Parts: sequence; C-alpha cells; structure tokens
Amino acid sequence: MAIKDTGFHRKSGAESAIPTSSLADIAFLLLIFFMVTTVFRKEKKRQIDWVGAEATKKIDEKRKNVLHIWVERNGDVYINDRITPYDDISEIVRPIYAENREIVVALRGDRDVPYFQINTITEELQAAGAVRVTFATRLEQRASRPRR
Amino acid sequence: MPIMQRKIRVSDEIPTASLADIAFLLLIFFLTTTVFNEEKGLPIVLPEQAEEQDVSPKNIIFFLVQADGRVVVRRGESEQEQVVSYREVEGILRSELVANDKLIAAIKTDPEAAYRHMINVLDEVKLAGAERISLQVLEE
Repeated sequence: MAIKDTGFHRKSGAESAIPTSSLADIAFLLLIFFMVTTVFRKEKKRQIDWVGAEATKKIDEKRKNVLHIWVERNGDVYINDRITPYDDISEIVRPIYAENREIVVALRGDRDVPYFQINTITEELQAAGAVRVTFATRLEQRASRPRR
Repeated sequence: MPIMQRKIRVSDEIPTASLADIAFLLLIFFLTTTVFNEEKGLPIVLPEQAEEQDVSPKNIIFFLVQADGRVVVRRGESEQEQVVSYREVEGILRSELVANDKLIAAIKTDPEAAYRHMINVLDEVKLAGAERISLQVLEE
C-alpha cells in the first residue's frame, strides 16, 4: 500500500528567492566606505632595498602630513617624483613645511646608501625646520632573540 | 474627445533594478584603487638648528658605528672602549639606563658606513627604551 502523505512533500511557505531590494543599500554602504578611505597614490614607488628593524612602529599620521624622501642605492634623492640635488633639499622642504607645520618626513633610504648622504639630508631638513623625521623601515623579527 | 486628456502610459518610477549594478561597479573601482596608509618606521625628532646643549660627560654613552658595521661603545667619562656586535647594544644600553635614566644615547656613524648599520644600532637603542637619542657623524 502506497503511503500517500508522508509529510515530506509538504509545500513550504518560505520565499526561496534572495531578496534583492536591499542589495543596492549594501553596495552603497561599502562604496561609501571605500570612497572615504581612498587616497590616490601621488608618487611612483622607487626601487629600494628596505632596512629591517625590530622596533618598527606604525606611524599614525594622515597621508597629507607625510612627505616621502627616497634615497636610491646610487645616491639619487627623489622628492615628489623629482630627482633633487642634495643642496636643494632644504629649499624644497621649507615651503612645504611653511604650508603645513604638522609635516613628518619619511626617509626611505636604501640599505646600502653610505651614511654621510643620510646625514646630509637630515642636516638639510634641520635647516628647513622639518625636525619630525621617520626612518622608514620594514618590521623584522629575529627568532633567535628571546622576547622581552 | 479632447486630445489633451489622453493618458500617457510611461512609467513614472525610477528603475531600481540596475541600481545595484551601478553601485557595485563604483565599489569595485574604489576597491581596486584604495591604498591603505602604511607608514612604518623609526620616528625621531631632530634638534632644532643651532640648538646645542652642554651635556655632562657622565650622562652620555657613545655608540661608534664603524664602516664595517662593528660598534664601539664608549661611556662618557672613561676613555675605555669596547668593541661589540650591534646585537649586544640593547643589553648594554638597557643596563646603563637602569643605573642612569638621564642617559643620552649618541650614535656616531662613520660617513662611509652603510645606512643599514646605523639603522641596526638605532633599532637596538629604540628597543632598549632610550628616549634621548642623538645622531652624529663620526669624525676621525
């Protein structure tokens, strides 16, 4: 005898379609988040070998308050995508500093640059008055050392 | 029958079906162009120009970074020097700071030394928790 009604074939009243009416709201929410957080890249990345440091800290500074100075291995200095002679660094940094006193200079030097070149740059920055400097590094972890 | 009253059959609703598509298109554009702020490094505040301070020799410890990366430690008062590897700097400075919390860590780097040697020592000095750091050039 065939069982007519087992209960398994009972029709469910629940909707099976994905509700699409709120999809636009979700998309717009995400859209606004990314619009607000987007900062367009201002300058080209330069080829440098980063130095590692264990004490590397994240610098909480708005992007508009950070000025990058790149020092390539051959000693070329780039500020805002332009190659800059050492003697002109203070001349270029001074108006930037006058405009924005909050400026932090992030010095991105290649690991094999001789130190006197870095020293020349810091002296130029002092002359320009921009004394907040960050030596940009990569976070490095040394497994051999016991954690303190 | 007046012509003016003929009903117009055009829908007066804004089409919302494609709204999500437009939103997602813009979303993907901003997703791909976003660069999150990743500024990392060792912060330091340089002294103002022409700002020189007289420091008592007993409040200063010199780390002389040689061109080959070796570090010579010289304590302010004594002339005695000690050659160490940069990895020992943290331990030395930490114990010195316990004895004297006014201690200034002065890093003197050889002009020909690679930048990374100086950063290695600065890293150690930062790890030791030194607040007062001075960067100088080693003069022969």
